[in-house]
Amino acid sequence: MRNIYHKKTILSAALAVLLLLLFVPGNIQDKVPGIPGSADLCLQAQAEETITLRVCNWEEYIDLGDWDEEETIELPSGDIIGENSMVDDFEEWYYETYGKRVKVEYSTFGTNEDLYNMLTLGDVYDLVCPSEYLIMKLMAEEALVPLSEDFFDTGDENNYFIRGEAPFIREIFENSEINGEPWSRYAAGYMWGVTGLVYNPELVTEEQVSTWKILADPSYARRVTIKDNVRDSYFAAVGAVKSDLLSSEEFKNDPDYRKKLEKEMNDTSPEMIARVEDWLKDVKDNVFSFETDSGKADMITGKVAVNFQWSGDAVYTLDQADEDDYTLCFAVPKESTDIYFDGWVMLKSGIGRDPEKQHAAEAFINFLSRPDNAIRNMYYIGYTSVISGGDDPRMFEYAQYCYEAEDDEEETVDYDLAYFFSGDRDQTDSEFVIEAAADQMNRQLFSQYPPADVIARSSIMTYFNDEQNARINQMWINVRCYDIRRVPWWSWTLIIGAVVILGWFLIKRWLSRRALSH
Amino acid sequence: MRFSRKSLGIPYAVFLVIFVAAPLLVLFYYAFTNGQGQFTLRNFTHFFTDPNTLGTLYYSFTIALVTTLVCLLLAYPVAYFLATSGLRSQSVILMLFVMPMWINFSLRITALKEILNLLEGNLAMHPFLNAVVGMTYDFMPFMILPIYTTISRLDGALCEAAMDLGADSLQTFLRVTLPLSVPGILSGVSMVFLPAMTNYVVLDMLYNSTYIMGSLIGSYFAAYNWHGGSMISLILLAMICIFTLLTGGEEDEPGRGGALL
Repeated sequence: MRNIYHKKTILSAALAVLLLLLFVPGNIQDKVPGIPGSADLCLQAQAEETITLRVCNWEEYIDLGDWDEEETIELPSGDIIGENSMVDDFEEWYYETYGKRVKVEYSTFGTNEDLYNMLTLGDVYDLVCPSEYLIMKLMAEEALVPLSEDFFDTGDENNYFIRGEAPFIREIFENSEINGEPWSRYAAGYMWGVTGLVYNPELVTEEQVSTWKILADPSYARRVTIKDNVRDSYFAAVGAVKSDLLSSEEFKNDPDYRKKLEKEMNDTSPEMIARVEDWLKDVKDNVFSFETDSGKADMITGKVAVNFQWSGDAVYTLDQADEDDYTLCFAVPKESTDIYFDGWVMLKSGIGRDPEKQHAAEAFINFLSRPDNAIRNMYYIGYTSVISGGDDPRMFEYAQYCYEAEDDEEETVDYDLAYFFSGDRDQTDSEFVIEAAADQMNRQLFSQYPPADVIARSSIMTYFNDEQNARINQMWINVRCYDIRRVPWWSWTLIIGAVVILGWFLIKRWLSRRALSH
Repeated sequence: MRFSRKSLGIPYAVFLVIFVAAPLLVLFYYAFTNGQGQFTLRNFTHFFTDPNTLGTLYYSFTIALVTTLVCLLLAYPVAYFLATSGLRSQSVILMLFVMPMWINFSLRITALKEILNLLEGNLAMHPFLNAVVGMTYDFMPFMILPIYTTISRLDGALCEAAMDLGADSLQTFLRVTLPLSVPGILSGVSMVFLPAMTNYVVLDMLYNSTYIMGSLIGSYFAAYNWHGGSMISLILLAMICIFTLLTGGEEDEPGRGGALL
């Protein structure tokens, strides 16, 4: 789902090398530079008991290492570079820290639905990283092992997750419940983002992309794209259909605004579904494509003017366009935006009651949450980590490293990120302000760390129960299929004519062959 | 145990049972049960009462029919002249037509996408046309090869006899060559028509936002509705069986050009 193209090349090259290595006999491996002591590793592993940890993550959603020298991220608190893959580094770190060997069996999935089908079919994993709605589904099905109490102990210096998680994200994870239990009991966030619109500022004004309604606007006929999945499309459609209500001052100033917003955005009443269906049918006749991955390339090559996108992929799209000296921007519509998370959860089917395994799984989460590793992953995949660093200054230093304006920049703007790094939404005189170039206001910085007012109008999309899902999926099929009642008469005539002629010919032929053979 | 030639068939029989018979049984099971595992005919009746699924069937059928006709009209002359020209480089030319099959499918369609985009300006304006062009491009060799094989195996003496008896070349073609090449045509048609009804990757890549049968099945599975998806697959399977029964029974099945692919 949230992929990055050029990383695919690196990934496949790495896989090819890995495959080759599998077939290299051990004694040659010793002489291959770059695989330090792989032979003694094997020997030791045999000597001690090794914990096997089966991890399943999104494709291209973790640092695979092997960076060039010039890619080094130079921060005031030290340089960061990805030499080895994150998984190898974890195995080594775990041995050094806890004195036990762990072997990570790492595999990937393409969509949440794929992962769920894999689990249903009996694939066994210990630790997986689905999006929030699948986490909720798995929680409701009681398929998850809760995180241990030790995991939340801020006194332990190896508990990087709980020490570094961004406060506003913790708030969401603690306040969002399913069957009376908060997400935070089962899930540890990994990456997060919001949905919005990537657009070409030469063709579209800021005013026009400020609403989801642009996706059905005939003045951009066949020049907009929307996601090829029902949840994202449903959210945008609800935003467009309820646009007047959602953007009214009265609604925004309601003391219970966030609760009401969440309720409105997750409205699955039959009337609402019917209105969404009508709107999406208009969109279908207006879009260039329903896409999951191709929208990024189509945006960069100028085939489309507006592209529904996840903020993490928006950063990537904007970066790629910059390389071609082509300017694209990102906007979040005024109605609302879907704030989404991918998070780590442990599965009952894998972990079972094995405390050693659970410890390794939780350590894996913590290792990924260590600020330098979070930065490596962010750099590699383009998404935004849920880690703000806590006492560790490196996460904010990295944001400054990426977005602080050059000294000779003429126009700069103070970009306040206090809501993310300190959790204080009202603080005005904050140490977490980036002096960014003015044009970053609707570009990468905006996509990577949306400003507080965007977060204020964000809503999570809850998990729908089976009945709601059935209705929404039927709606989606109604949108995408061709309604037989719309077939024009001349088409009926032609097709029936063709079928009759063909059938007559075949039957005649069949009869004559039968007569011959007797 | 005595080794007989029949034992050589055992590996394939095992393969058949595991990968063909067993999945079919699973398909049947899902198609006729509901979420609670009870027997039901609802999936079946739903398919034939929902205007959307019927419309999708109609839409795929139309795409497949037009594709097959275009393929046939383009492929027959090519195969005919190739087979009758007596060129020494015949096999080289045939190779040229088959060669695209050796290049990865998604690469070919991506290239086609760029070309169509150049020609049309905006690909999304002509979804039906693009679908037909894409499918024709993809399935053309499947039509050429069987027809070519059939015509090249024709006994030349038959044509000479027709000529001797006073038929001109057009009459010879219409009354001798064409009827005798029907098995090749039917074989080509069945190899183009049926995949064209379900191959939705071509449509996806060429930005056609309307579903055909393949995409409909895919969306059922993505929504965890294995029952509806299985029923649609089963109905398609039944249609294929009827079609094969009608066209089948050819004694001298042409080689279908399998060796070259």
